[in-house]
Amino acid sequence: MAETEELLVVTYRGIFQEVEEALGIYSDSYREESAVLFLDGSDALGRKIEAGRPILLETSSGKVVVAAKISEEPHPGIAFMPRSPWSASLLPAEVGEGGLLQLKRFRARASPAGEAVTTIEEIGERIRVF
Amino acid sequence: MAFCTGCSLLCDDIEAEFEGGKVKRTMNLCRKGRAHYDSLSIDRLTPAVGGSEVRGEEAVTAAGELLAGAECPLLLGFGRSTLEAQKLGIELAKKLGSVIDDPTSRQGLIMERILKGEVPTCTFDDVRNYADVSIYWGDDPSSSHPRHLSRFSYFPRGEKRQRGYEEDREAIVIDVRRSPTATIAADGFFQVSPGGDAAFAEALLAALGGKIPKVEDKKRMLNLATKLRKAKFGAIFTGPGLADAQDGDLGWFFSLVARLNEFTRFSVIPSLPDYNTRGLHQSLFDVAGAVSPVSFEDGIASGPKFGVTGLLESFDAVLVVGSDPVANLPAPLARKLARIPMVAVGTHRNLTTDAASVTVPTAMAGLEAGGSALRSDGVRVDLEAQVKSDRPTDLQIVEMLMEVV
Repeated sequence: MAETEELLVVTYRGIFQEVEEALGIYSDSYREESAVLFLDGSDALGRKIEAGRPILLETSSGKVVVAAKISEEPHPGIAFMPRSPWSASLLPAEVGEGGLLQLKRFRARASPAGEAVTTIEEIGERIRVF
Repeated sequence: MAFCTGCSLLCDDIEAEFEGGKVKRTMNLCRKGRAHYDSLSIDRLTPAVGGSEVRGEEAVTAAGELLAGAECPLLLGFGRSTLEAQKLGIELAKKLGSVIDDPTSRQGLIMERILKGEVPTCTFDDVRNYADVSIYWGDDPSSSHPRHLSRFSYFPRGEKRQRGYEEDREAIVIDVRRSPTATIAADGFFQVSPGGDAAFAEALLAALGGKIPKVEDKKRMLNLATKLRKAKFGAIFTGPGLADAQDGDLGWFFSLVARLNEFTRFSVIPSLPDYNTRGLHQSLFDVAGAVSPVSFEDGIASGPKFGVTGLLESFDAVLVVGSDPVANLPAPLARKLARIPMVAVGTHRNLTTDAASVTVPTAMAGLEAGGSALRSDGVRVDLEAQVKSDRPTDLQIVEMLMEVV
């Protein structure tokens, strides 16, 4: 896959993230469970993304830095991300034909990041200030 | 025995001991439920106006003034409120001539068809006793509702299902990823491409009709159709993956459910996110004949255009009850929402309470306060407080707001 091609990001909820959310969204544990993107191995290789390293995700709605993880099963062109304030930062605001917001999937550019994973405090500030 | 309000299963077999306002020991809670109980003493919301901490009464007064002074207020959330608070919240929306919406609940369309009697449903107890085939569509209850499979839908013995999952039950998972529930289903996992759910349903409908389905593995689809045709009692559990699959257009799903019911009974139970999302849907349906969003601005009207997605620019005040829309809505909408004067009523601090002009803390239902709620399958339960709390209930807060607006 070309380095510049957008990935289709599909969101989901995981049990460990659900647990950490209940225990407080301002914790490091919640960030570690939420601010991650599961990539296909070939997609990661093509973009020079290494497992565990920070990656920048960008859409027309915003950008965040999350930690890269490589999936065991192949899913080229598709990436999976826990549904969270990090994924919400990237979701499009347009409604579909059925009148619903699309909260489940979006297209995003992914590249290695030279900065640390975005904190929830930074996400909150961006929402309140901008 | 007590209830757990950690999810919409509302498990009723919980034992817990508390000491000094914290959980000391519990029995029967799942991992998520235990975290919900432990949150009693974590990140609790405090009363504040303009970012400064105040006494609770002052926060309620400021909240009332903010809402009373608004021309076009919006009410958001209520999925984590008791039935009593939800019903009064709807009365508050009527009194204010406002809109009530729960934008993060994705299965309103399915619930509306169920409440109208157009889609068959049943209780979890029926599933445990009779279901031999459970379909989880875009739904991963092993993560979102962790005791779903063990209490009701797959592992337990039931009246007509004495051999449990070993011989008497079949789990089918249709999803875009191999979720923990899909892993349990093993050979019953059917992977669809993102947005490919309608095409999968079309192929299954063809196979049910004895036609050759237009899919790669035709034999496997035909075998699935045979299995579903021969089922004695089928249950379909829907998750956000299904609700979002085709941008809210679910005609294909309702056609499939109708077709399956020509062979045998297949009931639908949505896996709803918050402990009383079903209650909110029922309460709104009883008043408006529809689920959220519902507008009381000019009579009663409903539909997506009235909610947070359609009219956000026109609202001049927001009341959020027990929800975190700022964290869950797309960032452009969250930014717009955060610019509107906002009252946040809830149990815990979150991104919405951080953005609110006024915050009003409440007791946790089922732990610090009683009240009623509806399980995902519509069964009513009566919650009781397990520990003492000085915090008011969400019902008391809405009652106070009703007096001042």
